[in-house]
Amino acid sequence: MLEIKGLHARIADGREILKGVDLDVKAGEVHAIMGPNGSGKSTLAGVLTGKPGYTVTQGRVLYQGSDLLTLAPDERARAGVFLAFQYPVEIPGVNNMYFLRAALNATRKQRGEAELDAGQFLKAVRAKLKLLDIGEDLLQRGVNVGFSGGEKKRNEIFQMAMLEPKLAILDETDSGLDIDALQTVAKGINALRGPDRAVLLITHYQRLLDHVVPDRVHVLSGGRIAKSGGKELALELEKSGYAAFGDAA
Amino acid sequence: MSDALSEIRPYVEAFKRRGSSGEPAWLSARREGAMKRFAELGFPSRRQEAWRFTNLQSLQKASFPPADDAAAIESSDLAPWRFPGEAHRLVLVNGRFSPELSAIGALPKGVTLASTAQTLKQRPDLLESALRETDTIGGQPFVSLNAALFEDGFVLALEAGAALDRPVEIVHFGQGGQRSCHLRNLVLLGPGSRAALIESYAGTGNYWTNAAGVIGLAKGARLAHVKLQDEGEAAIHLAQNRIVIGRDARYESFVLTLGAKLSRHDSQARLEGEGAACYLNGAFLLRGAQEATNVTFADHAAPRGTTHELFKGVADGSAHGAFLGAIAVRPQAQKTDAHMLNKNLLLSPRASIDTKPELDILADDVKCGHGATVGDLDDAALFYLESRGIPVPEARQMLIAAFAADALDRIENASLREFLDVHLQRWLAGRAS
Repeated sequence: MLEIKGLHARIADGREILKGVDLDVKAGEVHAIMGPNGSGKSTLAGVLTGKPGYTVTQGRVLYQGSDLLTLAPDERARAGVFLAFQYPVEIPGVNNMYFLRAALNATRKQRGEAELDAGQFLKAVRAKLKLLDIGEDLLQRGVNVGFSGGEKKRNEIFQMAMLEPKLAILDETDSGLDIDALQTVAKGINALRGPDRAVLLITHYQRLLDHVVPDRVHVLSGGRIAKSGGKELALELEKSGYAAFGDAA
Repeated sequence: MSDALSEIRPYVEAFKRRGSSGEPAWLSARREGAMKRFAELGFPSRRQEAWRFTNLQSLQKASFPPADDAAAIESSDLAPWRFPGEAHRLVLVNGRFSPELSAIGALPKGVTLASTAQTLKQRPDLLESALRETDTIGGQPFVSLNAALFEDGFVLALEAGAALDRPVEIVHFGQGGQRSCHLRNLVLLGPGSRAALIESYAGTGNYWTNAAGVIGLAKGARLAHVKLQDEGEAAIHLAQNRIVIGRDARYESFVLTLGAKLSRHDSQARLEGEGAACYLNGAFLLRGAQEATNVTFADHAAPRGTTHELFKGVADGSAHGAFLGAIAVRPQAQKTDAHMLNKNLLLSPRASIDTKPELDILADDVKCGHGATVGDLDDAALFYLESRGIPVPEARQMLIAAFAADALDRIENASLREFLDVHLQRWLAGRAS
């Protein structure tokens, strides 16, 4: 599904953040990327989804066997790559429903499927809302406008549920969530799991992994994968912290 | 000097040719005075603060004698600009009333809606008193020129307590080349009366629309006023409305500027009665080499007045927009609540927008503020939309629409808001093609 080989990337001020990341995520797997602050976790998510401000200087990324990095961000999304934002953006004046329908139809069009009309769309929306315990009123507002931190994260998961990506990248979706919201988020991720999909969970803490059990856990430190292991690695990190990986915090 | 003289000569000569047969003596005298004033003032210069941001070259380089030919316009030519709901419709073509294209319909008691020329014949008293504030003083050359040369326009007058259920729709269509249309408009709302007014300006060719309006709201009157400036792309549009708002009266306006290669809309409001409320909102969306200026002035001359202003500007291509907003609060206008905001969006590195909000406050117990911004589309918002698979042109369009729609939301009357929204969407759709 996703093959990252020797990936190096810089941010706008010229600093190199990723210094040779290697990662192989197969269809059907959930991988957790953990690591101290500043280790490059969000940069990795940004590079994979084409966020402006990063320059890849070396290495390559294959997604479903073809080069991901040459695609524009919207092309990556329509090809099935989804990013749940660490800080979802507020967009006043763009209605949440209207936005999501445009997004879904753009992807359906790409796949050669018929676009959903308002009625069909609403039906699909209601089914997912129920699953994720989200109020319908949220959809009538501007995208993320006036949403609480938890509502924003739920909205990310809701969008993911609607768009049904092949590769979902969740950038610290668990941070700042109370236990109820965390469980909703976990439910959304688990519902998406399937043999032809993969999930990359970027997180600082282990607690989300109690609810979404990963196949592999990696520690990103100093711009590289410093250690990889099974789900027990997350528990180890919970006890010992990231001190061994160069983070005092 | 010789340049300045040659610039005004076509208008002076047109005025001489015009004569004044059959008009009341007071009107002829006023036209004379106004023409003299225009000749003294000449075209404004960019050294004058009020005209600093307005490039009048295309108007000054050519002459635009008054249109004297009726254009052949079919009802279907007006279809894109017609208000879709029921309305009392008055249509003007090349500065003159077109009875064939109009559909004024039955008016409630106490309501007059007619062309200015008709009103001059039937109710000269209405115009004489309204035009008493002479156009021969002050520094508004185009209003003076209008006062000298106007042939027609529209008059909407409501007696005390009269109310219109349906909006009044005025459509002006300009056609042909190198001609000017001087429209003189009058809206007089008696005490406690209510009306909604839609003014649309459209056309084809390089004509010049020069509109001057006087709007008066007596005690407790209420006017919802929207203007769509969607003139032809080679046209010039200059307009000034002088608005006087009486005690507890409420004037709500929205000016949507989409058309013309060169345009300027000027709202000069005076809050004369205690508790007067004035809402001056608008949006200008420009592309290509369009040049547009919006000017507002709210003069608080009485206590407890309210002015709320929001203008949104969007410029693409090498277009240039300008917003000049001023609010004055006189010493007696205590408890004034005045706020003005101008936000602008530049879509191209060659586009530019100048903004100049000003407050002049001479009372001490007031709540006043202003703000202005000029920026690009929000990159974070754009990436968010892209990251959901929305193609870049569509994503940009969503953000531009959201930016402009925020201003339209200020229009309380839903049918008026929807009318302008249709034209806003049309502009956005044109952008993508």
